[in-house]
Amino acid sequence: MTALRTVKNIALCFVAVSLTAACEGNGNGSSTPTEVKTFHYSMRSSPGSLDPARVSTVSANVMVQTLYDSLYAYKYLQRPYELKPRLAAAMPEISDDGLTYTIRLKQGIRFADNRAFSNGRGREVVAEDFVYALKRHFDPDSRSVAAWIWQGRIVGLDEWKRNGADYDQPVKGLQAIDRYVLQIRLTRPYPQLVHNLAMGPSAAVPREAVEFYGREFSVNPVGSGPFRLISYDATEAVLVRNENFQREPVSLAEEGYDPITQGQYGLEVIDGRRAPFIDRLEISFIDEGSARWSSFTKGNEVQMAGVPAEQVYRVLESRDPVVLKPEYARKYHMSTEKEAGFVYTAFNMDFPETGYHPDPVRNERNRALRCAIMKARDWNARNDSWYGGLGEIFPGIIPSSVPEFDPELSRESVEYDPEGARALLAEYGWNAGNLPELVYSSQPGPTSRLFFEQFRGWLTNIGYPKEKIILKTYATFADLSKAWHNSEEQLLSLGWLLDYPDAESSLQLFYGPNRSPGSNSSNYSNPEYDRLYEATSVMQPSAERTALYRQMNRMVIDDCVVISGLSRVGIALWHKNVVALPDNNFVGGQFLQYVDVLDKAVGSAVR
Amino acid sequence: MNAAAEAMQRRHGDSLWNKAWRKFRHDRVGVVALLVVCAYAIVALGVVLGWWATGWADISGPKWAPLSSEHWLGTNIIGQDIFSRAVYSTRTAFEVGLIVALGATFIGAVLGAIAGFFSATWIDEAVIWLMGVLDSVPFILLVAAIAYSLQDSPWAMHIAMIATFWIGTARLVRGEVIKLKGQEFVESAHAIGLGRMTIIFRHILPNTFHVLLVQATLSFVAAIKSEVILSFLGLGVKDGMSWGLMISESTFEVLAGYFNNFIAASVLMFGLVMAFNMFSDALQDALDPRTVK
Repeated sequence: MTALRTVKNIALCFVAVSLTAACEGNGNGSSTPTEVKTFHYSMRSSPGSLDPARVSTVSANVMVQTLYDSLYAYKYLQRPYELKPRLAAAMPEISDDGLTYTIRLKQGIRFADNRAFSNGRGREVVAEDFVYALKRHFDPDSRSVAAWIWQGRIVGLDEWKRNGADYDQPVKGLQAIDRYVLQIRLTRPYPQLVHNLAMGPSAAVPREAVEFYGREFSVNPVGSGPFRLISYDATEAVLVRNENFQREPVSLAEEGYDPITQGQYGLEVIDGRRAPFIDRLEISFIDEGSARWSSFTKGNEVQMAGVPAEQVYRVLESRDPVVLKPEYARKYHMSTEKEAGFVYTAFNMDFPETGYHPDPVRNERNRALRCAIMKARDWNARNDSWYGGLGEIFPGIIPSSVPEFDPELSRESVEYDPEGARALLAEYGWNAGNLPELVYSSQPGPTSRLFFEQFRGWLTNIGYPKEKIILKTYATFADLSKAWHNSEEQLLSLGWLLDYPDAESSLQLFYGPNRSPGSNSSNYSNPEYDRLYEATSVMQPSAERTALYRQMNRMVIDDCVVISGLSRVGIALWHKNVVALPDNNFVGGQFLQYVDVLDKAVGSAVR
Repeated sequence: MNAAAEAMQRRHGDSLWNKAWRKFRHDRVGVVALLVVCAYAIVALGVVLGWWATGWADISGPKWAPLSSEHWLGTNIIGQDIFSRAVYSTRTAFEVGLIVALGATFIGAVLGAIAGFFSATWIDEAVIWLMGVLDSVPFILLVAAIAYSLQDSPWAMHIAMIATFWIGTARLVRGEVIKLKGQEFVESAHAIGLGRMTIIFRHILPNTFHVLLVQATLSFVAAIKSEVILSFLGLGVKDGMSWGLMISESTFEVLAGYFNNFIAASVLMFGLVMAFNMFSDALQDALDPRTVK
């Protein structure tokens, strides 16, 4: 009897396993279990929450962009970046005064099937879903970390929050005109709005899913993106193709494909096909760069990885131009990607020792001191030590990843000039005795400590007494960030990633009204700069606006308020049978829908 | 009196310390270890007095410069001289070792002596309870917790180590005092009306110095090793340089195939810890009343 039951159980298990495998295969329409196309990807950290309202890290944004849909997106291959409609049927219709945006949605787009819906079938995405998604950011229960994007910009949205965040109450400036038309009315012109509608936090969210899952919604995502989640923990997320994701076939020409610079990747195979091309996406969260590298080079695990800085010299034959060693070029595709952002060190101008001082003479001496410290910075050494010598050094706060970058701008502010620094200090009466203490705040850890030592080394080279440069460590980045936002730190060493390809994203870091606890952590206050910022904030992209942006950039440099900057360049490698072109900047996680995995290597060797 | 008789009398009249010293001198390994420790101490003293390694923080060369007459052990990832940093770290090792050894020995001696003298009373139980509680937490976890909670203080690491290292000393001293307090000289002290604290600290505790000396050397070694671990974890030295920090900094370099920083710190630390351990063993042998003749 027992033996019979055992045999019966085994048989049942076999049937169940077979059915499960067959169901997964059916998602692809024709695949059998052995033909499931799987792409193994990795990211540095676990995203934490998968709720679009809680997106605060790069990895969370990648996941959200893979699971959800936004109105707009960046073209997969176009550089410089260019927006395209995603769930929107076209680019928005903007009123003449720049205050009203009318957005028409594609019809027939459906959310992924989920038990949150009645009968379990994903319903159609409608304009009301975007109204709901944006309202959620202003609902205290959502604990949104992205409300700042729309704060004070949409008519009535802030009042809606103040009045109790009742979803049944309409917001004047955020309305679904009908099932497929969304209208947004702004309090004042905001040309960057369309960029914001391409970000993960603006994704369409179905209200019934949020209400069904409650707090668990953060780990039970329900979107209309190319993939849906089937399992998720701190080490791995497994996603499968969203069967309801039906979009136009990929047009390489429309995506901005450039056969000269991108021809070696074999991307032609996706032209004319409907994304996504893989059935299963396995994303491992591997914090340690060397572990990720090891997993990648094993061959049967992660199929795409960034080259850790410490491996750059082993992997590359040449850094300028970037060329792989033959043994790597034979096995992998490679792309280089410059971050849309930069690293910099800013002075907190609230500190009278080095910042603004009520005495005009001392104020001018402080400016000279900051300029001397700026001249003492050896950007090339920093690039060589920490970024494999691949980073791009540029003057000011407008990096070359945005169209407003000024290639003609003097590079004096990023040139290593210790003699000039010493002369400047002497000219303004600074000496070892009267130089003020500099407190360098940082996180604990060997790399942070070496950053400090390098900074101190540069300053001792210009005669700054070693004992006057003090390291102050915080237990966590959150503590450090809090201290910055409370204007408690004299020097801020930061990395900044632009939210969209518009220099406004970095210029706002020095806008007076944004002072601490806002994003202007250096508490820079220059009325002329603020006037120009306000003037440009309502201007559409134009030559005139670019000229004003550049003028603001020069102000920040001339006031020596920031030592900037360097855009890091990463090298991505992926297996030859993978068709892809990764992007960690603005395309972000959306590139995963274009990944294909073939049986054989594609493209040409990269050397 | 013949020479043999003189020698015998001298032997019988010798103190424990004289006998131990005589025994120690004949322990070649112990003597060599002491010389090595002294050499390290001289290096550390030179750093304190500014004779050498003054440029440990300077960026004096290119990144990862090879061994040369200018940079004997090459340079690190930001161009600092590895030899200077390794030498400077000797001072840190001695500073941490001495402070922790003295602090832990002092606290261990006082609490151990009091517990031993008042054995089987609530005072003894309180001290034993405290030791038991501290002992029940894994050592590194406890040290890391204390160092973490006091991390704004440059003395956090020292306090953390002292707070845990005194326990071993206290246990030994307690046992020794329990043994001593029944002896005649203590009874005599009681008989002439001396106070209890006077008896503990003037009459009993000096008789445990041989234990304290060995424990201090062991604490010294443990402190150096713990400093390396704590610094590696980012909970150690705040300002200055140490072998732990050097090893911690070298992780990036080792992955890139550059080992100078790692080797320099490891070898110097190994040398000092090894020498101190051997010296400690020799000292223990020399001071062991069962073997001192």
